[in-house]
Amino acid sequence: MTVVAYAFEEAWVSLKRSGRSALVSIGTIAIAFLTLGGFLLVSVNVQRALDRWLEAAEMSVYLLDTASDDQRMAIETFLQTQPGVAAVEYVSKERALERFRADFPELRDVTEGVGENPFPSALEVRLRTENAGDAAADGLERDVAGRPGVGDVRYDRKWLARLVGLVRTARFAAGLVAAILMLGAAFTVAAVVRLSLYARRDELEIMQLVGAPFSYIRGPAIVEGLLLGGTGAAVALIAIAILYSTLAGSVAPNLAGLTGTAPVRFLGPLELAIILFGGVGVGAAAGTVASRAVR
Amino acid sequence: MIETQSVAKTYGRGMYALRDLNLKIDKGEFAFLTGPSGSGKSTLLRLLLLEEHPSEGQVIVGGRNLSDLTRDEIQAYRRTVGFVFQDFKLIATKTVFENVSFVLRVLGQPVEQQRRRTYQVLKWVGLQHRLNALPEELSGGEQQRVAIARALVNEPHIVLADEPTGNLDPDLSLEIMNLFRDINAGGTTVLVATHDRELIKWVGRRVIQLEYGRHEGTPEAAP
Repeated sequence: MTVVAYAFEEAWVSLKRSGRSALVSIGTIAIAFLTLGGFLLVSVNVQRALDRWLEAAEMSVYLLDTASDDQRMAIETFLQTQPGVAAVEYVSKERALERFRADFPELRDVTEGVGENPFPSALEVRLRTENAGDAAADGLERDVAGRPGVGDVRYDRKWLARLVGLVRTARFAAGLVAAILMLGAAFTVAAVVRLSLYARRDELEIMQLVGAPFSYIRGPAIVEGLLLGGTGAAVALIAIAILYSTLAGSVAPNLAGLTGTAPVRFLGPLELAIILFGGVGVGAAAGTVASRAVR
Repeated sequence: MIETQSVAKTYGRGMYALRDLNLKIDKGEFAFLTGPSGSGKSTLLRLLLLEEHPSEGQVIVGGRNLSDLTRDEIQAYRRTVGFVFQDFKLIATKTVFENVSFVLRVLGQPVEQQRRRTYQVLKWVGLQHRLNALPEELSGGEQQRVAIARALVNEPHIVLADEPTGNLDPDLSLEIMNLFRDINAGGTTVLVATHDRELIKWVGRRVIQLEYGRHEGTPEAAP
């Protein structure tokens, strides 16, 4: 019999004997990984929404009516050569008016009553996603505002910057909570494994005296922790899947409609692997620490 | 085979359990370790099983200084030593067969070999008819025979026994001693700690007398 087969066999027997304490341990692991999984689910989808909003965020450089073609060309060239700029599009006064009329047909009369076209020509600047909302965009706004021919610069990035900061803080806080919960879960697993070792103390004493290799002495404790952690993580994944399927059908479509983003998606293979192998890893680590009580 | 060189073992604030102990037991020898309670018999056996290390001196078995062994080497060394306790130390939830085969199982031996060797050794101690009994269903003598079978199942070079007849009546004690004689007849070195002088006389082998942790010579020679 190999050491692995022996370790799994003994760990299974030990888990059955542990009964309720094993269930408590699985429960704490499941809660910890449910928190982590929920955080990952929210985080992944919030990031997608942010990416979309950041992609859509444009800087509008309004030109003075007195701006010459040379000035416009100079501004356009300047913008195109900036590393944070993805694309620049010129929108003439006429096109701006047409757009307004198309987007707000009910206000058509207002524009016709004014007589002269009130809309300025503009350069619409799409920034690279990674540059939107950061200090580089602030600098670009300042630089372009001071150029001859520029009337005004608008960039709705400040709320996005605040949101990015908020998401970053929330991620850190959720990560911290998940880490604390996982630490607690690891202690619970270690306690259960120690109880199992205590229940097997006669066997362990004899194993030591007959010269059993340490892999045989400690292996079952490590595998027991691994099984507790893996089962807890699997339970957490099932709970997340149930929650997702419940919420995805009702809340998510409305949320997507409100925010103008793509529908909420479930965890990808990477996040699933993080949760499952994270559970296995935390459990095995706790089992290893507990098994070191056997010397 | 077994040699102690100026071995001392102290506990607490320098209280000596063994003091300047020098003795030699040859390969294939049968020796009794005797002396009153607290004379250091069990301490010496614990040193030989590497449950403890000497405070001074060296314990040499098979030419190797036991203090030099690494953790894994200690386990490998223990595989060459069989140990029998006064209180049997059987696992209450395992049957007679499982108590013995357990040793081979945790040493990673193939299942078929575990079964064959376990049955062989249980037959040798006369318990082939009690294979599925639990320890609590056995008499004291039977339990000690299971413990002896467990000590022998891995074919050790040395068998150490700490008061193996301490919980048994005189008839059963003789029965157990006969088993140790038979083990020794097969070439295994046997060291039995006991304070039962009648038993020592009856078996009639070398006696190592300990007093206050010191070797006091061999008061009773083999007949």
